[in-house]
Amino acid sequence: MNYFSTFDLPAAFVVNVSQLAARYRDLQAAVHPDRFVNATDPEKRVAMERAVEVNDAYVALKDPVRRAMHLLELVNIKGMDEKNTAMPFDFLAEQIEWREALADAKLKEDEERLEEMASELSGMLVSLGDTFAAAYMGEHFAVATTLARKMRFVQKLIEEAESALADLGQ
Amino acid sequence: MAFLQISEPGESPEPHTRRLAVGIDLGTTNSIVATIRNAVPECLPDRDGHTMLPSAVQYAENGSVIVGEEALKHRGDDALNTITSVKRFMGRSVADLRGDTDARYNFTTPNGDGKGSLKIVTRQGAMSPIEVSADILKTLKARAEESLGGELYGAVITVPAYFDDAQRQATKDAAKLAGLNVLRLLNEPTAAAVAYGLDQHAEGTFLIYDLGGGTFDVSILRLSRGVFEVLATTGDTSLGGDDFDAALAKYAFDTWALTRALSPAGQANLLAAARAAKEALTNDPVATIRVDWGCGFDSKVDVTREKYVELTQPLIERTMSAIKRTMRDAKLKADEIDGVVLVGGATRTPAVRAALEAHFGKPPLATMNPDEVVALGAAIQADQLAGNKSGEGESHLLLDVIPLSLGLETMGGLVEKIIPRNSTIPVAKAQEFTTFKDGQTAMALHVVQGERELVSDCRSLARFELRGIPPMVAGSARIRVTFQVDADGLLSVSSTETTSNVRAEVTVKPSYGLGDGEIANMLQSAFASANTDMAARALAEARVDALALVTALSNALVADRALLSEAEHAALHSQITHLKSLAESSDHRAIVRASEALNQASTDFAGRRMDRAVREAFTGRDIEKIV
Repeated sequence: MNYFSTFDLPAAFVVNVSQLAARYRDLQAAVHPDRFVNATDPEKRVAMERAVEVNDAYVALKDPVRRAMHLLELVNIKGMDEKNTAMPFDFLAEQIEWREALADAKLKEDEERLEEMASELSGMLVSLGDTFAAAYMGEHFAVATTLARKMRFVQKLIEEAESALADLGQ
Repeated sequence: MAFLQISEPGESPEPHTRRLAVGIDLGTTNSIVATIRNAVPECLPDRDGHTMLPSAVQYAENGSVIVGEEALKHRGDDALNTITSVKRFMGRSVADLRGDTDARYNFTTPNGDGKGSLKIVTRQGAMSPIEVSADILKTLKARAEESLGGELYGAVITVPAYFDDAQRQATKDAAKLAGLNVLRLLNEPTAAAVAYGLDQHAEGTFLIYDLGGGTFDVSILRLSRGVFEVLATTGDTSLGGDDFDAALAKYAFDTWALTRALSPAGQANLLAAARAAKEALTNDPVATIRVDWGCGFDSKVDVTREKYVELTQPLIERTMSAIKRTMRDAKLKADEIDGVVLVGGATRTPAVRAALEAHFGKPPLATMNPDEVVALGAAIQADQLAGNKSGEGESHLLLDVIPLSLGLETMGGLVEKIIPRNSTIPVAKAQEFTTFKDGQTAMALHVVQGERELVSDCRSLARFELRGIPPMVAGSARIRVTFQVDADGLLSVSSTETTSNVRAEVTVKPSYGLGDGEIANMLQSAFASANTDMAARALAEARVDALALVTALSNALVADRALLSEAEHAALHSQITHLKSLAESSDHRAIVRASEALNQASTDFAGRRMDRAVREAFTGRDIEKIV
């Protein structure tokens, strides 16, 4: 399964988001089951399968981490291989600091600090993505794999900050 | 460029074969039925000209079932047998009841043990919320059939976006029980967006604020070239206009310092008085809540608009925090919202509008009647799903989402999420699990819905077992569980042990909805007097299905001849001819078998046609780029 070819896009990390969204809508307009209300059962079934595929591919391509992992898959690298999660020590140390800072802000219900962290982490994710794009394009796949994993860590932190903010907003 | 059309020649029925389809807003306080007439959506009135049917059902002394305004009159004098706001109880158990507001009825459960879906005790027996809702739907169906002069082909029924699977299933069951062919369960805010978007030719990102009688939804949609894409939705299925009434009623009760708890009748009278005061406060600065208790004794209290705002502030705050959550999920900021659309009668409350204007920096849009917009949108969608639309620029597409994450219970009572909330439907996801003990031959699967990490904090949807797993060492079995959510937002789950191919499958409904058997029983008792000839009906249905297949496939063969080789074309053609002649026979089994065979034979062709459609979608886009 190549999500990029589903969208008729080149397999590259940099994706034009509005182009992707437009193609998504065009594709769904062509394959969605609601377009086939008077069609035969096989056509309805195929439409359902395609609509599911297109939704799946869209979700994966929209998300920078999943997009990176998918690009690695396309060159037969399992980015999230659980047996091989070794990460550079300084990166892990940095992660621990972030985690502590997050826990602290959560405890103090410091909405402003959480917002700051979420936006700083988002910036980090973008710059990791830029580096990943270059490494992947240069076929430095080992470097790219480490970068993708780092992106995954950072994304987890963002999710945590976001969910803490959501809890505070209740 | 005009919106890209994939026109199916088989999808354009002749004008005389136009199917009668309606949209139904099955609301907490009021219900509405609407249809498309002369290309315009309109709500269908009753004989007195009222479009809104109060969602009230009285199970009367003489055995009759009274629905609507007439039933509402008995809310005071026959409170226990007059059911209002039944929507709050759909897909719910006794444990879900909220003591203060729901204490108006006597509840029971199917086996009297407090477990399973609740029932309301009336003098005509214990009624499930599904049966009560079906009585409301029957009234609307009769109204529509009388007004349109024919049998309905199908209906789109709206549900709050935040309804969980059990509540959706219950709604679908109610519609089936009322004898309606459900074309789709449609989320209320999405329906409103369709009506609003098509009426106003709106493009951009819109937030739908839907405060109904008993439910609250927020949905954010992107409208672009006829595609309505839901980006995120949140809500609260136990917050609505009713709560605004209750806040006023509580204020009056506290002010009067009444010493006794109210009787059900007294409570109904007080709520009605509070509601009248709330409505008056939309235009007047002061209103009076006045209740006549009978025997020459009455109570009254004045409420200013300021007091009302103060009393309802916590409710409005709850809706505002839901908005923030939805905005976060959609990854949008307030200034990226092009407009806020108001839906539901409770949005007439000036404090609601003021809060929205303060948050978004512009007044909300109120160009359409907030009571009718949901039913109108449902009617538009029903017309399309009935296959009545075909021409260029006419059809639109809805891409909706599931409101709550779906998952499975894992070790330690934790939830493993399989499909996250706000996933666009249809969606399917598979996840692998393994056995915990050596030689384990069965696995219990518990399907839950919700955002919390603990199973006990989520809604339990169904439990089922995969049996017959060959004994293996712990951790070596591969149990693949597949979740599929269809376009109605309803879940089905199947599981397979992949090394041995043992399968188990459930459509998720046993916990709260009715089983198909129960529905069949209810239908049978409902139609007992009708004495339909089942065999004749089966034959008629087989013929209709066969001819629909022949028509659709013949059209496809003409349109896409090029996709088939001579031999393939000839084979399909001869099978079509065979089915056509068989359809004139009276052997319904043979017709069904031949239809199935033809379906099977045309599957490959269907796939090729879809590929062609996808290629055209991209080609259309490229042309647009060049121009």
